[in-house]
Amino acid sequence: MKVIDELLAQLPFAGIEQKEKTYSVSVPKDKLRETAEWLKNNPKLSFDFLTDIIGMDYTDSLGVIYYLSSTTFPSYIITLKTQTDDRETPEIDSVHDLWLSADLYEREVHDFLGITFVNNPDMRRLFLRQDWKGYPLRKDYDANPELNPIPLDNEDLNDMEDMPFTEINLEGERLEQHRKLFEEEDYVVNFGPQHPATHGVLHLRVSLDGEMIKKVDPNFGYIHRGIEKMCEAYTYPQIPHLTDRLDYLSGTISRHGFCLAVEKGLELEVPERAHYIRTIIDELTRIASHLLGWGCMAMDMGSITAFVYGMRDREKIMDIFEETCGGRLMANYSVIGGVMNDIHPNFQKKVKEFIPYMRKMLKEHHLLFTGNPIARGRMEGVGYLSKEQAISLGATGPTGRASGWSNDVRKIEPYAAYRQADFKEVLRSDGLTFDRYIIRLDEIEESLRIIEQLIDNIPGGNYAAKTKAVIKLPEGEFHQRVEGARGEFDVYINSKGDKFPYRVKFRSPCMTLVNTLKYIAVGTKVADLIMLGGSLDYVVPCIDR
Amino acid sequence: MFHFSVVTNWIDELLRTYLPDGWALFIEFVLIGIAILTVYAVLALILIYVERKVCAFFQCRLGPTRVGPFGVFQSVADMIKILLKELIKINKVDPRLFRLAAYLVIIASICTFGAIPFDKGLHVVDFNVGVFYLLAISSLGVVGILLAGWSSNNKYTMIGAMRSGAQLISYELSCGLALMTIVMLSGTMQLSTIVEQQTTAWNIFRGGIPAIIAFVIYLIAGHAETNRGPFDLPEAESELTAGYHTEYSGIQFGFFYLAEYLNMFIIAAIATTLFLGGWMPLHIPGWDGFNGVMDYIPPVLWFFAKTFACVFLALWVRWTMPRLRIDQLLKLEWKVLMPISLINIILMALWIIYIDL
Amino acid sequence: MNHIKSIILGIWHLMQGMYITMLNFIRPKVTEQYPENRGKVFPHERMRGQLIMPHNEANEHKCTACGICQMNCPNGTIEVLSKKEVDEATGKEKKVLDRYLYDIGSCIFCSICTTSCPQDAIEWTTNFEHAVFTRRKLQEQLNREGSKLMKKEK
Repeated sequence: MKVIDELLAQLPFAGIEQKEKTYSVSVPKDKLRETAEWLKNNPKLSFDFLTDIIGMDYTDSLGVIYYLSSTTFPSYIITLKTQTDDRETPEIDSVHDLWLSADLYEREVHDFLGITFVNNPDMRRLFLRQDWKGYPLRKDYDANPELNPIPLDNEDLNDMEDMPFTEINLEGERLEQHRKLFEEEDYVVNFGPQHPATHGVLHLRVSLDGEMIKKVDPNFGYIHRGIEKMCEAYTYPQIPHLTDRLDYLSGTISRHGFCLAVEKGLELEVPERAHYIRTIIDELTRIASHLLGWGCMAMDMGSITAFVYGMRDREKIMDIFEETCGGRLMANYSVIGGVMNDIHPNFQKKVKEFIPYMRKMLKEHHLLFTGNPIARGRMEGVGYLSKEQAISLGATGPTGRASGWSNDVRKIEPYAAYRQADFKEVLRSDGLTFDRYIIRLDEIEESLRIIEQLIDNIPGGNYAAKTKAVIKLPEGEFHQRVEGARGEFDVYINSKGDKFPYRVKFRSPCMTLVNTLKYIAVGTKVADLIMLGGSLDYVVPCIDR
Repeated sequence: MFHFSVVTNWIDELLRTYLPDGWALFIEFVLIGIAILTVYAVLALILIYVERKVCAFFQCRLGPTRVGPFGVFQSVADMIKILLKELIKINKVDPRLFRLAAYLVIIASICTFGAIPFDKGLHVVDFNVGVFYLLAISSLGVVGILLAGWSSNNKYTMIGAMRSGAQLISYELSCGLALMTIVMLSGTMQLSTIVEQQTTAWNIFRGGIPAIIAFVIYLIAGHAETNRGPFDLPEAESELTAGYHTEYSGIQFGFFYLAEYLNMFIIAAIATTLFLGGWMPLHIPGWDGFNGVMDYIPPVLWFFAKTFACVFLALWVRWTMPRLRIDQLLKLEWKVLMPISLINIILMALWIIYIDL
Repeated sequence: MNHIKSIILGIWHLMQGMYITMLNFIRPKVTEQYPENRGKVFPHERMRGQLIMPHNEANEHKCTACGICQMNCPNGTIEVLSKKEVDEATGKEKKVLDRYLYDIGSCIFCSICTTSCPQDAIEWTTNFEHAVFTRRKLQEQLNREGSKLMKKEK
């Protein structure tokens, strides 16, 4: 785009490359902060959405890639890259004050690659234990189990409260300091890791004043499986089964995303039929996921019946999946080049039966829960998330759209068969808990519309393109965005031309949602914290990866 | 009409003919104690089964189906399990208070249970201040809950107990006020007399609109006092794992569990006694044939049928609605129920002066 | 006035919710009575339950012991043990399948083995009742004792 071209030309020190809609801006380490600030604050550019921060180990140097996107021209992406040769004490300036989401991303990079972000006030490890030795995503990482034996004792909570950080003050002095997370007299309650309302093994440390919440500190990593590390040892056809296990409630969508990224790299022509099938399956997944999200939120508010109803309707989708894909939760359907099997002969009939059923049930769900004065009273005026905050936090998906931020990747960057379907992006403006609640039910309605349009028009032909027995991706970086049920799911693949990827990074939409909880839960009550968690609808395996 | 007083009087006379009065009384006390405890436990089992089955049906499920036909022995199996479970010793609790709390809760519940008139003559404690006794003894349970929360030395239980304290004390008010309207209507606090008065028309019909309002308020407030349904904040399993009884195990937990279910029954039973005519059959003035048929149904059945209808209503509400937040809960009490009950008392007074009699 | 109106509206909405739950109270229930309906309800034919190696009546299978499935398996679930055998017709030494080991305990049902198999020697069945008492029992040998490679029809 011309505006971007012209403005980027103002950066003399930056190496700029353009590939379609992605600009890659490489800057030296000391100019990073300046460039980031300029990109964010320049009124014409305003790259105000930090999609992801990817830590890289280029074997000789360590690097960081910032994926930036703008609300003014959402389909354009700037990747801001920088490197440091220092492998002993690598340091890069923090951008945590520019984008609220950078906070956790930087901690993640620190955890896996050992890069310290100067001036970030919280440089604890994010997923691994505080006493973990080594940085797993470095290529020279020693995976010897003797170095990190399986711990037999609990992690000391004091370790989790101690926040180390490195700071360079105004005089240019470099200071290594420690800060306590909570104050001495705080009444700290642990929600999780084993708690009925944290949707998995999430650990929230909450300091309370009576029933009022003063501070929330999320603690991840209880089901960290090292999927990104595992991907580096897997061949491309093997990786997709791991993506199913990230966000297990919208597994087919993340799998679809990964397959699209590889297909992009291979420049593989995917048959139209496969695109249609994938889109329908994705939308069914989205309905299933939103139904469960709706039910879980209702259950968090104490209405268990609604949860069972949600599960009951979801079961219909699971049955359709079982018939066509062979799996229920782990549908395992997309493969590189298409889908695994052709659709089952009953598929279209079953889906067409499901659509009116779901519409009828949606009406019942509205009567049961949406209108309920207790539910309305609880959701009213709680958990306000402004549009600016949502963008800065990177709270994509229904959460962002409830705040009025139009961030639907299906509209911004249509993939698969979304271009052929006529649907509207559901947007609300208030950003309250009720909006986040109702937007899910509205999106089910939209998804039904998409399916309705596509189901009868599945073109003939092959359901998968032929691929080579051994898939080797050409050298380069491949990035694909898809709209998961909870937000934007990004796949980043760095290939060295081998049959294994050099580095794979998944953007977890749920991590930013938990980060959002940190901001919107303050000042609410304990009961609201649980409800807000339900309204954000995060899934923990997606965060922990 | 067959009344249980025939049986109880017969036992009384039998004992008195063979034994001196003191001994006869003593044996009667023991018998009553055993009978109450047995009925209490059996009712709890039935209620647990009913709750599970009804809840399942509301949720499109089948509920327990494995133990016995339709799973009727499920709660018996559960009881055996809970009796066999170990009482886990927890470090850093206040052991005396910890144990006392469970007993307090169940004792309060059993004492209230004893004051319910199931039938003429099937009524253990018939004070002339029966309603007052019911209110007084049933609010003892809150002490147990507070103690449980405090002595467990756990933050969840603490929050649960504090919520419970706030909740029970405030709902006690409108509960009492709602009962007060009926006391005004009857002019007595003695439960047996209140029931006897309802021979021709149940209080809810006799008292007209104020009685209906009082009935609804009593159901809501009573429901809140049992810590169930939309008012289960002290337990709030999705927030506080299990609230005030998080740390309890085995039979101590069983006590809380039993008390919770029986309290539900007791609230329904009090509602039946005061509003729905207790064990009185349904009589419609003028319809003598109909009244005659109704009289054939034994009063005990009438009592349990009405009570279980109230219990079903409670379950229906519980499995439909989400939980309130603590401020909404208190707002509902102090801004809605309390003013309405106060106005309702005046209404009832007007009703008694101008319409009734 | 608004206060009273909202109370009445609230009660109306509560009644609607209670109507929905009552509706479901009466509706037929969706619970599957599993052990009772065993043999009446089957999983869909594509369901990935268990990996098997089909044998024909002559106790022959199609596996040539090429090991592609073992290579493709992400978890090391499959182990193909082969042996050398002299072919009677040609007199040459040939690699044939000795034991095909499959550990269902570590299988993630990703289906890469069946799709990558050039001979279609293995496939899924819908058997889903995998519960056993020890982990040892989860490890199975898929080829039958004394089975041979199926002769290709020309």
